[in-house]
Amino acid sequence: MYALADCNNFFASCERVFRPDLNGRPVIVLSNNDGCTIARSNEAKALGIKMGDPYFKIREIVERNGVAVFSSNFALYGDMSRRVQEVLRAFSPSVEQYSIDEAFLDLNGMDDVDFDAFAKEISRACRRLTGIPVSVGVAPTKTLAKIASKLCKQYPKLRGGCYMHRPQDIAKVLRKFPVEDVWGIGRKSVRRLSQMNVRTAWDYTQLSEVVVRRTFALPGLRTWQELKGIPSIGFEDVIEPKHSICVSRSFAHEITESAMLAEQVANFAVAAVDKLRKQGSLALEIVVFAMTNRFREDVPQTSSGICTVLPEATSDHRLIVLAAVDACRRLFRYGFGYKKAGVVITRLVQASNYTPSLFADADAAGREARLSGAIDSINRSFGPGSILFGVQGDGHIAMAREHQSPHYTTLWEDIPKVKVK
Amino acid sequence: MQPQQILDGQSLEFAFMGDIKAGFPSPAEDIRERLDLVRMLVRHSASTFFFRIDGVSMVDADMDEGDIIIVDRAVAPYNGCKAVCFIDGEYTVKRVEIGTEGAVLLPCNEQNHRYKPIPVGPEDDFLIWGVVTWIVKKA
Repeated sequence: MYALADCNNFFASCERVFRPDLNGRPVIVLSNNDGCTIARSNEAKALGIKMGDPYFKIREIVERNGVAVFSSNFALYGDMSRRVQEVLRAFSPSVEQYSIDEAFLDLNGMDDVDFDAFAKEISRACRRLTGIPVSVGVAPTKTLAKIASKLCKQYPKLRGGCYMHRPQDIAKVLRKFPVEDVWGIGRKSVRRLSQMNVRTAWDYTQLSEVVVRRTFALPGLRTWQELKGIPSIGFEDVIEPKHSICVSRSFAHEITESAMLAEQVANFAVAAVDKLRKQGSLALEIVVFAMTNRFREDVPQTSSGICTVLPEATSDHRLIVLAAVDACRRLFRYGFGYKKAGVVITRLVQASNYTPSLFADADAAGREARLSGAIDSINRSFGPGSILFGVQGDGHIAMAREHQSPHYTTLWEDIPKVKVK
Repeated sequence: MQPQQILDGQSLEFAFMGDIKAGFPSPAEDIRERLDLVRMLVRHSASTFFFRIDGVSMVDADMDEGDIIIVDRAVAPYNGCKAVCFIDGEYTVKRVEIGTEGAVLLPCNEQNHRYKPIPVGPEDDFLIWGVVTWIVKKA
């Protein structure tokens, strides 16, 4: 048996934990730069606000209905996610964090458990301990567990937990479940499926194995087996290090100066190196890209990227920032207003497995490693951004965050205030 | 034992873990425990949150302006506990009295008679956010 614990409207729910006055009121959270809607409370969904709706398009609905609007506060969401994971770990030793708001629990070996009560208890514990509402689906496969968790959201009487295991129950649910909402069915497959007259998850299970394998290859076959109750997707409780790391942002205002673009790119590079160092990897290649605002037809457009191969695999701040800034200066062209830029570091290798080339300057590498280690420990002790490269400016990524809530759980200055009466 | 031994004319080095010293071994060597204040104050890291006391000092509550209170949502509200509550759109700290008729919220400031006990029923717009487990104040 597998469980999927899925936090309901996660970012909106995080905001509500610290603002109980917003319970029952519509809440939305906007993407970086206050661009589009990335989370909605049920009340906001009922107003017709869709995922991805640009803020300027829904402004009228927001104002008319008193919708509470938040800029994204990832420090808060990350900390609340950590708390939910900790609660889940009390229920199963193997928890696979699938995304910031979803985790699978491996329940194999827990045969005498009343899984329906178990699912409801997990949901109740998450709500009580962290304040976050969580839907828990339990089923014989991960794909079915995901479907079971969606049922909890549709039917409040399930009290946050749904155990779906009898074949006749599963069949009944799958007959009503749209195939495009099944985990693992990609957007590309949906078109093909509608041509084949496959509308529901049940229709998909009724295709022959040969047809599924031929049309949708191995991933499609796995989903087909999972829907039939045969576990086919492995459990990954050890997080694999990422093969590439990307940090990119849209800017609040278009950037027309080379030095300003370089400053932003340097900040992206530092953020990417921090992630790289956290997972213990080294990078061999760095890509810097920048583009103008493609939604504006009245201004000239450009979009370009430069890939730099580093002489040695490295995780040194200085080398990577230098390469990023150099690439940025080369791709910048006057007369364009840059709206978005980013840094991707790729061809990652694990530091522990890496052999430097014969001609690598070992002394220099040692010095760089000590410098980067010192930067890490200063920023760890005194907070991120305590020590910066000159080119980073003030170290802030220029973003519109007009509606950001305080960092309630990660900054002493921001912890909530309470009056004694 | 020698750190270096000669075997068939080749030298062979041994790596020792830690220093080897002659004399009486320290009986404290295996005891690495230190008093960890955070572990004492934060029993459940998933459910513990910090709040800061805002406003004038209130003698009875032992809470002064600027103090940090530690709130653990894992602790079930018990009779006489101090809890962070949310009433009328704001946070406040109350002493919670749980009787047969339901809960009564008592002000933590008995000198100021402006604040009266509030009986709470199921229809009231109120919630106990979490129980206060510690008060951290600067000496």
